[in-house]
Formats: sequence, structure tokens, C-alpha cells
Amino acid sequence: MKHFGLIFVVTLVVCFPLPGLADDLCATDGLDHKVCLTAPAERVVSLSPGATELLFSAGAGDKLVAVSAWSDYPPEAAKLPQAGNSNRLDLEAIVALEPDLVVAWVDGNSASQLAKIEALGVPVFWLKPRTFEDIASAVERLGVLSGNEKTGAGRAADFLAGIEQLRDRYQEALPVRVFYQVWHEPLMTINDEELIGRAIRLCGGSNVFGHLPRVVPRISKEAVLEANPDAILSGGEDSDDRRWLEQWRQYPELAAVAMDNLYLIEPSLIQRSTLRMLEGTSQLCRTLEEARARL
Amino acid sequence: MHGYSRPLAILVLISLLCMGLSISMGSAALSFADTWAVLTGNGTPLQQTLILELRLPRTLSAFATGGLLAVAGALMQVLLRNPLADPYILGLSGGAAVGALLAMLAGLAGALVSGSAFAGALLATMLVFGLAHGTGSWTPSRLLLTGVVVAAGWGAIITLILAMSPARQLPGMLYWLMGDLSHAGNPAPALALLVLVCALVLPLGRSLNVLARGPLQAAALGVTVRPLEWLIYVLASVLTAAAVSMAGSIGFVGLVVPHMLRLVLGNDQRLILPACALAGGTLLVLADTLARVVIAPEQLPVGVITALLGVPTFLYLLYRSR
Repeated sequence: MKHFGLIFVVTLVVCFPLPGLADDLCATDGLDHKVCLTAPAERVVSLSPGATELLFSAGAGDKLVAVSAWSDYPPEAAKLPQAGNSNRLDLEAIVALEPDLVVAWVDGNSASQLAKIEALGVPVFWLKPRTFEDIASAVERLGVLSGNEKTGAGRAADFLAGIEQLRDRYQEALPVRVFYQVWHEPLMTINDEELIGRAIRLCGGSNVFGHLPRVVPRISKEAVLEANPDAILSGGEDSDDRRWLEQWRQYPELAAVAMDNLYLIEPSLIQRSTLRMLEGTSQLCRTLEEARARL
Repeated sequence: MHGYSRPLAILVLISLLCMGLSISMGSAALSFADTWAVLTGNGTPLQQTLILELRLPRTLSAFATGGLLAVAGALMQVLLRNPLADPYILGLSGGAAVGALLAMLAGLAGALVSGSAFAGALLATMLVFGLAHGTGSWTPSRLLLTGVVVAAGWGAIITLILAMSPARQLPGMLYWLMGDLSHAGNPAPALALLVLVCALVLPLGRSLNVLARGPLQAAALGVTVRPLEWLIYVLASVLTAAAVSMAGSIGFVGLVVPHMLRLVLGNDQRLILPACALAGGTLLVLADTLARVVIAPEQLPVGVITALLGVPTFLYLLYRSR
């Protein structure tokens, strides 16, 4: 009979863990919500291609049970079951997988759909990567939640060290005035707040539309002609599609055209906010170095 | 006819002033003196490119598009004898939009998107015409119903395409649907079409006036109603197709400009049709200028501005009229 009391307490602790006792797996997400798990996540659903990449970087790739459409990197991500595309999630499929962690992305996923998932008791970790530091810390925190603290922290530190190296190398370089073309019809660019904009500054470039208030402003050709950038960069519609760049050749008075500074930037390395940004940024820096040599 | 020359002369003057204003304004700051220098063959190469290669074709495209839409709207209102009729009421813009969006989805750009939009508009026209003809007789109310239902069908296909498209493609598609002149090409064909159609319908002005009162009265007064209605339908469709394939579906111009002019000038088609060409063109030139400069160097879709300019003007005229 003496043991009953002890058994009771043990049962209580096992069935209703007290917050203070099991709080060791907590991380703050991009929306400043504290996400706490009682055990490392074992069944993770990723709701954007970027989130999938960050989870793989954090060493949690083998914990993924479903990903969103277009999750094509690393290659093994493409083989995972899909739970709809980022804008329109298949809620039923997600809930049926009984995930213990869902990783969402503020710029693509619908907050109301995620609220429904959260209401069913599934923890949601929101990603909001705006800076290189955000990317690194997202990997670190996903590492914590998936029980790969060391992997996550190590890769995050490597990434930041690589970024710092680029910063040291290029921050004193001669500024190159850059126009980065996101889309052609309508003509769109990015400002200094956007990650690509940050990469351009890191490489010693100066974005001619960096001061505009909107993150992805829609501009006119006229504004580009007036700004007269030294280099025009674009991700193109595909990785080898130079059509948008070649169109600028009809304005030979543009400095970028006169110096033949029209460069295609591999879009998958720079347009997703993941650890591959380091490779993309270092390519961007080399490209700007080439443009600088022609000034 | 002589009583008409004064209002038309005034409209010509206003349109020329507005076009002058339009080519002098933009995100790059140029003075009127700079503009004048470029127009008289001077100016720096940059100024010449800005004005002659970017602004002038765009201003002329805006004028042609607005003129085509307003004339098409006036014709549709006569044909359907319905004040709510506009160039898009029979689903033509829907067909054009489906053509344009499919081309964009396939990764095409520029003239191929315009061509695809034009093909879509013609397909929509023939579809409505064939279905409205049906097995029975061809009446304006039957045409209207067929067109409205076909338009709803196009609307569903547009929504489907938007839902299936990758997120990267969406801004371009939405700008097309809202109406956007940034990718309008050479304005010459559209301007020629506008002049041609105005010249063609002017001799028909009297018959159109009679038709606007009703087909029975028109028939009683010796107008051959059926061929005239077909001609109006075909003309309005070609005008709208040309406008839509240049600048996407810019709303409002085709509905409101003819009404505005009727409130001011009276309902004589011989005056209203050329006045529509001038006033519709001017409205769109003004709206496009604003769209380019309001938050320059950022750009707005012109469809937003046409409605923002047109709604208060129209309400004022309506309120003032008896």
C-alpha cells in the first residue's frame, strides 16, 4: 500500500508532465511565439520549399513525413509525400499524418489555415527569415526542436562565418551600382530590406532602388534608364534564360549595357532564404567583382 | 453637322494638351523645356530615349486603347439598348484574359501574350455569336443573356488558371487583369483601326440614332435592322479585342465615357462616336500618366486610376443632370 502514493505521483508526472519539468525543448519562432515540445519532434511537416531545406540543414530531414509542393532540394526532399502547395495546403492530409511539429513560412502560408492546425493541438513553428542571422538562427532552433542541437548550431555557425568572411572581403570594395530584376511584366525589383538586397550590399554593391519603401517594388523602365545602373542582375525565369537581360540591350546608353554588365544569377541559390544563400551570395560577390573590373 | 465641330474641336485640343502633359511627366524628372527640345530634335540621348521610345508610344497606346474602348462601349449600348452594356459585357475580355493568362503560364511574353489575348477575344466573340444565333431568332436580349453567361464561364476559367499558377507568375497575371499599359507595343495599328472605324460608322450615324430608339421604330423608318446590328456587333468586338490585347482588361472607360458624353452633348451618335474616341483616349492618357507618377518610381495599374477619376466625374454629371 505504501507504494500506491509513489505510483500515483509517477503516473501523474508521466500523464500530465508539469511545464517546468519538460520545458527543455523550447524555441521562439519568427512570430515570437514560444514553441515547446515534450520530446524531440519525430514527425515533422514542412509547408514551404525553404522550410524543407532548413529542416534538412538542421539534421531533421529524416524526421520529415510530408513537404509542400516544389520542395526540390535536397534531392531526397522531392521523394517525400506532398501536403499541397504553400498557398493552398491540404489540411486533411497534414492532420492525418499526425505530425508533432509543423514548420510554416509567414510569406507563403495562410495564417488562418495554420490556426486550424494549431487548434487541433499540433505545434506550429513559423519561419520569418529577413536577414542572414534569421536564417542561421532558424536552423539552430529547428535543430533544438528536432533533437539535433549540435548539428543545427554547427551549420548555423559555419553559415554565419562564411557570410562574415564575404563581408570582410568586399565591404571596402568600390561600390557597383546594381539593378536586380525580379520579374519582367510588370517590371519588379527588390529594396535593401530584401535578402537579395542584403546580399548585394554585402558584396559591395549599391542597389539603385534600395531606398524604395516597398520590399518588392514595381517600377518603370524609365526609372531604370534614369538610375543608369553599372550592372543589371536577374534570376531570369529559368536558370539559363537570358531573355530579360538581353532586352536591355535596346538601350545602349545604359552604363550596364555599354560595359556588358548583364548577369544571370542562379535563382535557386539566391531566391530561397536557406543556407544555400551563402553559395548564392558568394557567386553574387564574384559576379559583382567581374562587373567592378569593367567600371 | 456644322454644330458638331465646336465640341469636337474642344475635345481635340484637350486631348493634345493631355498627351503633351503625359509625355512630359514620368519618374525621371524632365522639364517642359526638355520635352520641347526633344520633340524639335534636340535633347540628350537619354532624354530622347525616355520621351521618344518609352513615353510617346505608351501615351499613344493609352489614347488608342481608351478611344477604342469608349467607341466599343457606345456601340454596345446602342446595340443592346441597355445602359449597363460595356465592351466586356458579352464575355470578350474573359476570352482575351484566358488567352493571355495561358500564354503567360506557358512562359511567353510581349507580343505573344497580346496575340494570344486577341485570339481569345475573337474566339469569345464567335462563341457568343454562334450560340446567340442558335436555332431561333437573333435578338439583342438573347445576345445579352448568352454573352453574360459565357462571360461567367470565362470568369471561372480565369479563377482556375490563377489558382493553378505558381506564385511567381501571379503578379504579372493580376496586373494584366487589372489593365496595364507597360507592355503595350506599337500603337500605330490600334490608332489606324480607331480612325477607320470612326470613318466607317459616321455615315451610319442616322441609322444608329433610330436604332437606339428601338428596332420596330427603326424598321418602320426604313432601317434594315438585322444587318446593322450584326455590323455593330462585329465592329464593337474587333475594337474591344484590339484594346484588350494591347493593355489587358481596363474597366470603366467603355461603360462611363459614352454616358458622360451623352449627359453633356446629348444622344446623337454622329457626335457621340467621334467624341467617345477623343474623350475615352484622353481619360486613359490622364489615368496612365497618374499611374506612372503618383508613387514614382513605383507604378500602379491604370485600371485603378480610370475608376478613381471616372466615378466622381460621372456621379457629378449625373447629379447635375435633370
